[in-house]
Amino acid sequence: MHTHDLDISIDKISKIEGHADLDIKIRDGEVKEVNLRVMENQRFYTQAVQGKSIMAVPQLVSRICGTCSIAHLTGCIEAAEKAIGVTPSAQTILLRKLTMYSLMIRDHALHLYFFVLPDLFGIDSVLDLPEDKKEILHEALHVKEAGNNLSKLIAGRAVHAPFEQIGGFVNLPDPEETKKVVAELKSVRQYVMNLAEMFLSCNWDFKRQTNFVALATPDFSFLEGEILTSSGKRIQEKDFWEHLQSVVIPYSKASGFEFEGKEYMVGALARINLNKDNLHKNTKRDMARFLELFPSDNVCHNNLAQAIEIVHSIDHSIEILENTEFKKEEIAKPSRMSGEAVGVIEAPRGTLYYWLKVKDGNVEYANLVIPTAQNLVNMREDIKLMVSKLIDQGEETIRKEAEKLIRAYDPCMSCASHFLKINWL
Amino acid sequence: MLFSKKKKNKSSTFLQSIKPSRKNNFHTHSSSQQVTEYSGKVLDKKKKQVGVFSYSCDEGCSIYLTEIFNTKLIGWLEKMDLIYFLSIKDHHEVKHYDIAIVEGVITNKKDKLELEKLRAKTDILIAMGTCTITGVPSAQRNDFNEEQMAQIQDHLDKFDYLPKVLTVPEVVKVDAEVMGCPISEKKFIEIFEKYL
Repeated sequence: MHTHDLDISIDKISKIEGHADLDIKIRDGEVKEVNLRVMENQRFYTQAVQGKSIMAVPQLVSRICGTCSIAHLTGCIEAAEKAIGVTPSAQTILLRKLTMYSLMIRDHALHLYFFVLPDLFGIDSVLDLPEDKKEILHEALHVKEAGNNLSKLIAGRAVHAPFEQIGGFVNLPDPEETKKVVAELKSVRQYVMNLAEMFLSCNWDFKRQTNFVALATPDFSFLEGEILTSSGKRIQEKDFWEHLQSVVIPYSKASGFEFEGKEYMVGALARINLNKDNLHKNTKRDMARFLELFPSDNVCHNNLAQAIEIVHSIDHSIEILENTEFKKEEIAKPSRMSGEAVGVIEAPRGTLYYWLKVKDGNVEYANLVIPTAQNLVNMREDIKLMVSKLIDQGEETIRKEAEKLIRAYDPCMSCASHFLKINWL
Repeated sequence: MLFSKKKKNKSSTFLQSIKPSRKNNFHTHSSSQQVTEYSGKVLDKKKKQVGVFSYSCDEGCSIYLTEIFNTKLIGWLEKMDLIYFLSIKDHHEVKHYDIAIVEGVITNKKDKLELEKLRAKTDILIAMGTCTITGVPSAQRNDFNEEQMAQIQDHLDKFDYLPKVLTVPEVVKVDAEVMGCPISEKKFIEIFEKYL
């Protein structure tokens, strides 16, 4: 007997960042409704930054998200610097790239090893790995620690990094520590190759044609470039908002977004699909086999794309650290205290947009577009299609596969809940 | 139980799979050394039962905790079972915690009730991170002006938020605090190991 009517509710989906619930309603063997609700409580940052000194705001918005705090810090600093006329030095840009790489290494590693890997092995937690596979837990901890130590070296800490500020870095990497970090990055590279191999050989497959959107940076450093789409558009950072529409999601504490009226996907898969030619030469050399699969419509390849990005982040970090002598510099000063600007970077989960208006040194308004909010509509459409294919396989399968699909996206609900549609006066 | 709705096929924890608990073979199932967990698996009662709980915040402290795990987890697993940590495990009902680590603040009625229930079944509650004690940055809304409140009031009403954000000690008794945003690594290790 097939089930023709079914209501499935998943409260607090585990192994994602923050809280989200999923409701699926099936009637007469058809998927009637899929509600992916962001249940993370609002902390009202867009209101809280109003009237605050622009110099303090990057460290404040860093607190929007624990895991990708460095992305918020860096994206906000970029918008702030453009708004008040600060030109960062070439050395500052290099240090920012290293800071972003440290984030990608530890954040992607956390997601792949701790959140996704249990699904590969059919276990609850990476702590439950069988004895003959327990080495993977040690590898996971080493990879994360290498990213963590790179963050400490360059930015002072992996979460809410204290050294990175508007106009520059207040501390320089210690040469002796740098050598240790380079050695550590080299030592964990093979672990990440092993991880990529696991995702390459897994048979997960979910395809649905969509539009991929990403900031394409010339050296794949996540910082500066043009926004490209797989539908063939090229958009300047400052114009991105013009192409977006906010979408209300029923009963959710966060809204979603559409790009030119249609769902789209941001994140590692979008970046590799649109910009794989700009990866580091060593990454391209050693991962050619993996890179052949891209561009790909398979959402599960998002995980493989994340593993490729860890290797790239390691390779480019090693090159920068081995070839740069960092010198003490003055922090670049603002040329004005009022202005308005947009900063766009690639956070681990996708394109992160900051729009700031500053008046007399204080923030007058802020608008943010968060990666997970951009993926919400695409995720919902994917879940709908997936459930319709699995409808005869019963509740447990649907439940498990839906969670797996959501995790493949690496959503961050702490971030997503940040966006609340506001009518600015 | 076998046919209960929550039936889950859980394998043993990482450490148990390396060292099968020999003690359990020498005791009957009524032994004081044993405790039956949610899924029916037998745990060593000498190990501390630990949970990590996130209320409203950026979860930066639990993320930082996973960084502290890089070098500490393997050793700590000799002394604890990490039985609740939504960041890395599925959730399930647990009857008792020796140590509950709590991050974030209380901003709605549902979370207030949950924290009160957690306190009732917990021996040692550790508040993790500056915001658990001071409330900020989430408690910034407590000081919003009329104009700012007007922007958020509908949302507050719709989702049953409390009129003011509450700190953890404003809701329940706290046994230890670790400050820092995120937590100070040294201080956390010092306090956690004291109770472990």
